[in-house]
Amino acid sequence: MHVNYWDEIKKDRLGKLGVILVTLLVTIALGAPLLAPYDPWAYVAPSLSPPCWSHPLGTNEVGQDILSELIYGTRTTLLVSVSAAIFSTTVSLVVGIMAGIFRGTLERIILRLIDVMLVIPVFLVALLVAAYFQPGMVTLIVLFSLLLWPPGTRIIWNRVLSLKNQGHFTAARQFGAGTAYLLWRHLVPELYPLLAVNFIQVVRRAVFMEAGLAFLGIFDPGAKSWGLMLHYAREFVFTGSWTWWLLPPGLAVSLTIIAFALLGYSLESALDPRMRRQTYAEN
Amino acid sequence: MKKRLGDYLLAILIILALNFFLPRLMPGDPLTAIYGDALVEMSPELEAHLLERYGLDRSLPEQFFLYLVNFLRGDLGYSFYFQAPVSQVLMEALPWTLLLAGTALVAAALAGVVWGAEAGSRRGGKFDRFSLSLLVFLNGIPGFLLGILLLLFLGYYAGWFPLSGGESAHLDYDGWRRGVDVLRHLFLPALTLTLAQLPRNFLLMRSALLGIMGRPYVTTARSKGLRERLVRYRHALRGALPPVITRLGMSVGLLFTGVLFVEVVFAYPGMGHLFYLALQNHDYPTVHGCLLVITFCVLCFNLMADLLSIKLDPRLKEDARQLLG
Repeated sequence: MHVNYWDEIKKDRLGKLGVILVTLLVTIALGAPLLAPYDPWAYVAPSLSPPCWSHPLGTNEVGQDILSELIYGTRTTLLVSVSAAIFSTTVSLVVGIMAGIFRGTLERIILRLIDVMLVIPVFLVALLVAAYFQPGMVTLIVLFSLLLWPPGTRIIWNRVLSLKNQGHFTAARQFGAGTAYLLWRHLVPELYPLLAVNFIQVVRRAVFMEAGLAFLGIFDPGAKSWGLMLHYAREFVFTGSWTWWLLPPGLAVSLTIIAFALLGYSLESALDPRMRRQTYAEN
Repeated sequence: MKKRLGDYLLAILIILALNFFLPRLMPGDPLTAIYGDALVEMSPELEAHLLERYGLDRSLPEQFFLYLVNFLRGDLGYSFYFQAPVSQVLMEALPWTLLLAGTALVAAALAGVVWGAEAGSRRGGKFDRFSLSLLVFLNGIPGFLLGILLLLFLGYYAGWFPLSGGESAHLDYDGWRRGVDVLRHLFLPALTLTLAQLPRNFLLMRSALLGIMGRPYVTTARSKGLRERLVRYRHALRGALPPVITRLGMSVGLLFTGVLFVEVVFAYPGMGHLFYLALQNHDYPTVHGCLLVITFCVLCFNLMADLLSIKLDPRLKEDARQLLG
């Protein structure tokens, strides 16, 4: 597959929008201390003040600046979802390759485990576990990584099976390439596109799960998270404060999910126009 | 098929084990972990009774066995917040959840199938492209946000629908008046949930139809001179539907996750709302009872969808056999 994926995404209008949005989010997350007008943990003004020049989005119920909270929330969202995606994609890669290369009992056990885990409703189990911990970021990252690896693993296992019987592998092996060399130089590079798609899928699901858990109040109350902002703002929703308190974090969550979704779709169709059909339907 | 059933049994076992071992792995004694703050209000006799009943003074394997037996007997513990057995509290909430989830499932399935078929059969056209981008964006909005916005605009500002609950309290409606009242309360939560499920169904149906439209038998139908509507709905749709139905069945996990949020937003008196109340009041037996029952429902639906898919498409049986080796 000699396709320039970057070019493909740039050609796709929605894909380009996705790239722009994700870049924007990453910039905001990295530059949060510079961009935020206040320390989001500091009590800077009377609580529940409506927007004014010094506080464009007003203040929350304890007098913290909402705009600063919003900006710092980007960090939490991206940190949790990207870390979860890195870990779970790594697990998918290692386990998927193991199942594909060393067939037999190990493969059967892994596939069975995947089948069982795919049956379990992920978010409900996350709730079940998280309800005990009042989890912080680290707990959430571990939890999401443990729950979100199976779909990717199955796809990678499938790809490894079809790849390893291709001509250039046999050729490389006959030229004396060792297993490790084969894996690193020939197998893994062929998996990069799949890994990228999987990475983006996991990010998207993790963003949703983090926001959902926090919205239900299951998140370290000291952290700055869009979901938590929604959780608190909901209690004051009929006071009219929703336009500056509830809507911004809500839109931020939606935009983040949409941005990664667009990026994912255009990457998928760049990879294989037919693949689009199946992956569109994945949650 | 046996393997599939085994998968489900294992899944249930894993969830029960999680539910059992997590509180017992926490520091402190298990009674505190299971009952939390409620323990302070307990009398020593009650504490002793609970220890005895759930065998908390015995070894872990024995406890787990007792836990499984209790679960199978429908004994999920006692709720101190509601002052009733958890199973009884759950049974009052379950019909509401099923009503809400069922309505949304049917509405979203119908809307998704029709819309998806209309868009898919005009692939690449204006209508198709518009629907596709609209629904991709809708798909990004979390259900709870959608719910809050609908509640604000249609419930609070417009005043067309009640703001919370499953029916009007303190009004002793009877017969059809009560029915109308229940429907009025049902409308907004069901609409939210339908909108949240719609994009997925649309995309499923659209792509299934795209895969079918080029098939020879569709071309044959068209060249017989049949009207486009007939070709689309009698021929193409029929061929495309089975995988869509199974995927819909498999997606009830997402549906029930959605129900949870929507019930919280609308204070709808089902399992999701119950879960939230219990969580806020540290009523852990009810929290876990809720999640267990919801998960159990999801697994049952998934299993039914799995069985149905094999009924609808006998080719899958072959696939399953091949996978088994």
